[in-house]
Amino acid sequence: MTLPAILATVIFFGSLIIIFSEKLHRSITAIAGGALMVIVGRVLHFYSEEAALDAIDFNTLGLLLGMMMLVAMLEPTGFFQYLAVLAARASRGKPVRLFVLLGIITTILSMFLDNVTTVVIIAPVTLLICEIIGISALPFLMSEALLSNTVGVATLIGDPPNVLIGSAAGFSFTDFLIHSLPIVLLSWVGALFLLLHLFKKELSKRPRSVKAVMRLNPAETLNEPLVARRILIVLAGAILFFFVHHALHVSPSLVALSAAAVALVWVRPNLDELFKRIEWSVLIFFASLFVMVGGLESAGVLESVVGLLERASSVPPLVFGVGLIWIVAALSAVVDNVPITIALIPVIRGLGASGMEVDPLWWALAFGAGFGGSGTIIGATANIIVVTLSERTRHPITSKLWNKRGLPVMLATCSIASILYAILYSTF
Amino acid sequence: MTVSSCMKKHVVSIPVTATIRDAAAVIVNKHIGLLPVVEKNGKPVGVIGIRDLLTLELPDFVSLVADVDFVHDFGAVETTRPSARTLDKSVKSLMKPPIAVEEDCGLLRAYALMLQHNLHDMLVVSKDGKLIGVASRVDIGVAVLSSWEKT
Repeated sequence: MTLPAILATVIFFGSLIIIFSEKLHRSITAIAGGALMVIVGRVLHFYSEEAALDAIDFNTLGLLLGMMMLVAMLEPTGFFQYLAVLAARASRGKPVRLFVLLGIITTILSMFLDNVTTVVIIAPVTLLICEIIGISALPFLMSEALLSNTVGVATLIGDPPNVLIGSAAGFSFTDFLIHSLPIVLLSWVGALFLLLHLFKKELSKRPRSVKAVMRLNPAETLNEPLVARRILIVLAGAILFFFVHHALHVSPSLVALSAAAVALVWVRPNLDELFKRIEWSVLIFFASLFVMVGGLESAGVLESVVGLLERASSVPPLVFGVGLIWIVAALSAVVDNVPITIALIPVIRGLGASGMEVDPLWWALAFGAGFGGSGTIIGATANIIVVTLSERTRHPITSKLWNKRGLPVMLATCSIASILYAILYSTF
Repeated sequence: MTVSSCMKKHVVSIPVTATIRDAAAVIVNKHIGLLPVVEKNGKPVGVIGIRDLLTLELPDFVSLVADVDFVHDFGAVETTRPSARTLDKSVKSLMKPPIAVEEDCGLLRAYALMLQHNLHDMLVVSKDGKLIGVASRVDIGVAVLSSWEKT
């Protein structure tokens, strides 16, 4: 290994370790790592500022920013609470029914919106519903994060790794619906039944006050019905365009940013308030990771990894793909799945350039990165959100509890996905 | 005018060895909103407010959901009580640091401190730090406003 390769590897893995240790905010670590990579690259002449800018995938950032703006406009309207209260009333206070209905709402929202946003908004109102009925909110909060992680894999816009993979592999919105959605839906059904079984004891407890839930008025949760209606119309339009973006030769980021622009003009929100709700730190985290991985690529590290993997080409492609699902899932359970995805994209691209059939590998990466996050309390941001929220209540979710209830979900979804992946391998 | 001129001199307090259950009983019996926690030497080491005690019973969602207007019936929450284990904990686990002024403190300074710390009652201590009185917002406000009559 050359000196640039060694230093680039140390910077990248050093940053990953710091992110994992949570000693420093992940975005601060990524900015520092990115800057260090460019400085070292300039000194040793393996990386330049221009190359660092080229390494940033603006399609991914644009798609994320556009969707974040739409959600940030929809959030204060109370629409999410409206859906949760509708579910609560429809459940008539029956825990199992409420569990399934809230799970379905979280699922549908997570397919089209960022998992973190979905959970941030649904979790507090879930706690409210559970408290007034008089049942434990823990099964509900955990399953919302777990189902949201699972179903996010189904669409191009459901989860950040998909945005990255779709952009790198050139997969369209419909490609995800054809190749990913069926496998994810079956995995989701498996996850739901498993959760119902794992939380059987908690869900069988009799609620103390069903009447209270029937007195919740969904209409009163909508603060701005007109704004909600307008943003939902724009969101529906954007989703329609996502279906045909490939045929129109339009990038998903243009669809998302145009939709955000239309909504901004139509709704004219308070921009200061709106921008406060955009997760800039996430966008900066992504951009910085792109810069770091660009450095790894320029230093020849990824080429060496591709070389090593090519030597393993005697492994049957199907085994290679299933193995990739589990390796990525295991990594995603302990480290953020975004850096893993960003680092593996050039590797898979390199394998493609050397003649390997890589389309199945892109899907394996998506399944592993998406499902792996459910494995541990820190595996996905949605998990961290519900755990942090539960820590502000009298019944915090512990790491031990997550290992008992979350890890089986990761293992089940990865197993179901692996079996279906193997059966459907020829279709990828 | 100083705060000692308007404070209540008969102060109800509890020792640091008391439990949360004891604190609640004193607040109920004396019908007061703030209970100073004092050491043997009479120096205040903390305060237990009626709000701190009610927080033990308030549902978790209240601090997490911005708007609760649409919840017309708190259902099971209304009949939830803190566990015996919680009530038997020491007042030290719930008390807040005492904010006090000395007896010669001016009325407006005392009032400004109450606003700043969002207090309804202010502890008044002697020069050697012993608790000698409690002045409420109303006590201080009435004392200030009464001087307007002479203007």
